[in-house]
Amino acid sequence: MTESKTIKGRLLEIQRMSTEDGPGIRTTIFLKGCSLHCSWCHNPESISPKPQLQWLSANCIGCRLCVEACPNHTLSYRDHQIVIDRNLCHSCGICVEECPTGALEMLGYDVSVDEVVQEVLKDKVYFLKSGGGITVSGGEPVLQAGFVAEFLKKMKENGIHTAVDTCGLAPADAYEKILPYTDLILYDLKEINSLKHRDFTGSTNEKILNNLLTISEWMKINGSPKALWIRTPIIQDATATEENIAGIGRFIAENNLHPDRWELCAFNNLCNDKYERLGQKWTFEKYGLLRAETLDYLTDIARNSGVDPEKVLWTGSSKTDEEKVMKKGNEPRPVDFCRITGLPDD
Amino acid sequence: METVLQIPKLKEPKKLSPRIQWLRDHYFSGNQRKWNNEFTAWTTGTPWDIQYDELTYYIVPETYPFLETFRSSMKQAARKVKTPDDFFRWSLPERKAWFVKETIVHYVPQEILPGDLIAGARFNLMTSMCWNEKEAKAVDQLIYGKNGSRARMKWFHDHGYGNSGATSGHLIPGYDRVLRMGWKGIYAELKSFYEKLPEEDKNGPRGQQLRAMMTAATMPRELANKYSVLCRQKAGKEKEENRKRELLQMAKNLERVPWEPAETFWEALQLLWLTHMLVMSDENYPGPGVSFGRIDQYLFPYWEKSLADGMDREFGKEILKTFWIHANTAYDALIRVGANQGITAGYGQLITLSGMGPGGKDMTNDLTYAILEVIDEMSPILEPKPNVRLHRNSPEKLLDKLIDMISDSQGSPFLLNFDERSMAGLMREAKKGKFEHLIHKSNVFDYAPVGCLENTMTGNDRSGTVDNNLNLLKAVELALTGGKDLNIFVDPITGKKEKIRQDGPRTGNAEKFQTWEEFREAFVIQMKYIVKKIVDLYEVSESIRAKYNPTPYLSCLVKGCAEKGKDVTQGGAEISFTTIEAVTYATTVDALLAIKYLVFDKKLITMGELIKALKANWKGFEVLQARAKYKAPKYGRDDDEADAMGRFVMETWTQEVWKYKTKATHRQFRPGMLSWNYWVGDGFILAASPDGREKGQFLSNAICPTNGADINGPTANTNSVGKVLGGKTRDGDWEDFVNLVSNGTSHTITFNPSLIKDKEHKQKFKAFLKGYVENGGTALQINVLDPDMLRDAQKHPQNYRHLLVRVTGYNAYFTSIGRELQDEIIARISHEKM
Repeated sequence: MTESKTIKGRLLEIQRMSTEDGPGIRTTIFLKGCSLHCSWCHNPESISPKPQLQWLSANCIGCRLCVEACPNHTLSYRDHQIVIDRNLCHSCGICVEECPTGALEMLGYDVSVDEVVQEVLKDKVYFLKSGGGITVSGGEPVLQAGFVAEFLKKMKENGIHTAVDTCGLAPADAYEKILPYTDLILYDLKEINSLKHRDFTGSTNEKILNNLLTISEWMKINGSPKALWIRTPIIQDATATEENIAGIGRFIAENNLHPDRWELCAFNNLCNDKYERLGQKWTFEKYGLLRAETLDYLTDIARNSGVDPEKVLWTGSSKTDEEKVMKKGNEPRPVDFCRITGLPDD
Repeated sequence: METVLQIPKLKEPKKLSPRIQWLRDHYFSGNQRKWNNEFTAWTTGTPWDIQYDELTYYIVPETYPFLETFRSSMKQAARKVKTPDDFFRWSLPERKAWFVKETIVHYVPQEILPGDLIAGARFNLMTSMCWNEKEAKAVDQLIYGKNGSRARMKWFHDHGYGNSGATSGHLIPGYDRVLRMGWKGIYAELKSFYEKLPEEDKNGPRGQQLRAMMTAATMPRELANKYSVLCRQKAGKEKEENRKRELLQMAKNLERVPWEPAETFWEALQLLWLTHMLVMSDENYPGPGVSFGRIDQYLFPYWEKSLADGMDREFGKEILKTFWIHANTAYDALIRVGANQGITAGYGQLITLSGMGPGGKDMTNDLTYAILEVIDEMSPILEPKPNVRLHRNSPEKLLDKLIDMISDSQGSPFLLNFDERSMAGLMREAKKGKFEHLIHKSNVFDYAPVGCLENTMTGNDRSGTVDNNLNLLKAVELALTGGKDLNIFVDPITGKKEKIRQDGPRTGNAEKFQTWEEFREAFVIQMKYIVKKIVDLYEVSESIRAKYNPTPYLSCLVKGCAEKGKDVTQGGAEISFTTIEAVTYATTVDALLAIKYLVFDKKLITMGELIKALKANWKGFEVLQARAKYKAPKYGRDDDEADAMGRFVMETWTQEVWKYKTKATHRQFRPGMLSWNYWVGDGFILAASPDGREKGQFLSNAICPTNGADINGPTANTNSVGKVLGGKTRDGDWEDFVNLVSNGTSHTITFNPSLIKDKEHKQKFKAFLKGYVENGGTALQINVLDPDMLRDAQKHPQNYRHLLVRVTGYNAYFTSIGRELQDEIIARISHEKM
């Protein structure tokens, strides 16, 4: 058997027609398991490498087949809620199989390289027309470097542009495995102050900064990956400070990293319900979107930090279009004034 | 800095001159106007006379309860037109041609609005059918009674099979020929055909038809003369110099066109409008599907010439804008009785822009852009409905302009038509219908869509694109029951219960089937049955129309009619197909997938239990219903196994369709996939389906996946559509493209506004469209909607009168489409992932 059939990766999700993870139209492969655990994480389900059970209340019809099916008596039904005792759950998936509505979901599944290749090639024509391709993201994909390297190699054999989105915290030799098949590195620099970095993410940032310098050297020597994007999450009461942005900018400039793009990624709280489903609390639950002025201001700081200002931009949504961003569920949001006249409802 | 798209605001018309602003406001003032284009009814004065052609409304189930009312109210309102003494000794087509001409020229008033640049105002007529007593009685016998066309059509619909009727409109008349030859040329041609007839034929049906067409061919000239006189009168009274000059120029134009060929752009538009509006008069049928074809191609020489002769480009656009207003007055037909002053959904006077020419060359020109500007500046407005044709070589500039317009509107103000896949369908029909001498590699690019997105050739093709609408899902129901209705039919008006009868073939007790293959076989047999059933039903109305409802004026504009001496209603067109539009496609595929998955593959349930659940409309079977809905595979996710089922259904039903021709008119049936609004209404008629759908819920729309099924996003959705149409092979129908559905297929994808929020994303969206050319279907409607705004529109409909949505490729004012459809659109957009 070839490696591409035997090496398995642990995936969270494959997202097609992704437009936010690199150039063009992309298919993004989210891997499960991360080396950081950022307090603002938008994909909390990607942190643990283990499969995790989640329950979506909106989909549940209260049939309780899952409660009966679970061999470990993990589940109970109280007040129209399925309660998961996470200490008892072995993530065996029997309840998921039994659930008729898909209200119970197992996050994280194992697939072979070939299976992923087959799936992503379905959109090859869109990649070619858009200058897009695939992005491997996470979690931290480099933690599964063997799988990722094999997958990227297959992609290059098929003439497809590859990007890897990394938080920077992985063994240096793991990066060496994947870099030969990577066209674009999306590299997170979240916080320049190492102690703060530890507070926010659970780790200091020295290794992350060092890895970036190593990758940058590799790029210069080998001519690949051809492109580097730096990404900085802009989080209120955390990374959204002048010192941090200026500091990251200085680091980039002083080390001659010359990124092709530096994206300031605006915070949003669309993931509130993810935390709820995982039975976790989230510090940022009540935080709304940032104001456009704040983002503009920080972008100015970044542009004046020594990095080529042309390469700096912010992405995501700001408060001005919060109304639009809020519309994600099927529940009508109360609107108490007419959008056209501005008059209050009767 | 990127500009993030703000809360979408209602599209507003822009850059309108005071003239156009006034005309537009005046139009939207509806029945406040001093006069309008409401139907006027006209009679020969005989006691048996009728005006209302009910056959043409058999495909509109909403009208069934009112057929008799419409018939009698038109009859009552009809004013007498004095006919010659020997009128009833003439042939029917000659009577009809004379009557329509007499009415429009001498009885209907001519009007010109302040500032208007084009003449031709009132054309919505309900003219006499011109039958003598014997004919009227014969028609009544065919329509009324237990086996009459009306009862048969109603039974078919009541029992969930769909609907069928010989319908007017829905073709592209040969307007380009009139522009080149003038009606003078058309008349001369008719005359020469007539003169060449052997003497005995001159007194037979062919001679009668040609004489009728000659009469009809002089109608535009006489009407133009009337308008010309009116323009001069108005010019005489006009104080404002500029307007006076305009009126005099209009009078001059009308003295030449449409009788003479057009020479200037202004003349061309005047000719086009008068010629077009009279088709609607001739058919007693405003708008539906009478389409213009490749307007930016055949008007381009006049545009270029007039620009070279000094016409201001903006003035050229100004004439186009008045043309736009005229097209919208078709809706006046029911201005007093209809909802929203008769402005409901698109009548589908389609214009086609851009597209491929010989050798794959792109045909976009300056007029294409000028018309796009007109659309942009006039929107939101319903008519004429634009379709833009895209292909592998569509220019970047055009794509950029289109995407800017999409991001500027609430949804795209045009439908996109995709040439390669469309042309593959037409090449296939050429082969199947033996029309290879008329549709071939070196002319197929001159096709254009009619109505919504139904592809036909131009000026010689009537393909009955909306005449038959078949619910494929009925074949699943019949396979489950061995050929019977699942539920007892209860008449909604009388409350009377009807006994269930053995209607379809006895395919055996499904509960005893041991394998999926046995069920599949039963499904195939029932599918053959329902196709045959709609073919037989169509024959009823088609044969009545062929004998009793000639349209000699329209026949002048369809090549083949003069040559054969046959009316277009008799199959006179050179290319004469009729189309079966499949409805409920994805629901059918998903129903089969669910049966296979639940009963045979996973054995979660027996067939007996499934049938019990369906009879109970899933009440008491909620867990099973959930499994059917959420666990069974679905079409539309780019899942090769599920899409293989889709391909199987597609091949099964289309193969059957190609087997038939009409008997009375020898028209070959061809497949299409457009669901108009039937997927909403028939959801209340068809029984619960194995995919988990309850009776009363929506069916799937055209070739779209069932609502909510397309969880893998637009590319997966698109790939599924392309696959079930036949995908690509080395020897395709057109290059490597295969298209099993010749008429074309309606596909709507609702996009999140964030996808086109800035320049970078617009480029990505553009690439998606290029991908659609390769992997998708024939036509795509792009919706970009905000659910909160739509909810607000539900709450405050008075403030959203002009909010436009497009469904199945026809546009509708959101506030006019009814709560269910509104909720449906909201659910769709809410479902989109951010």
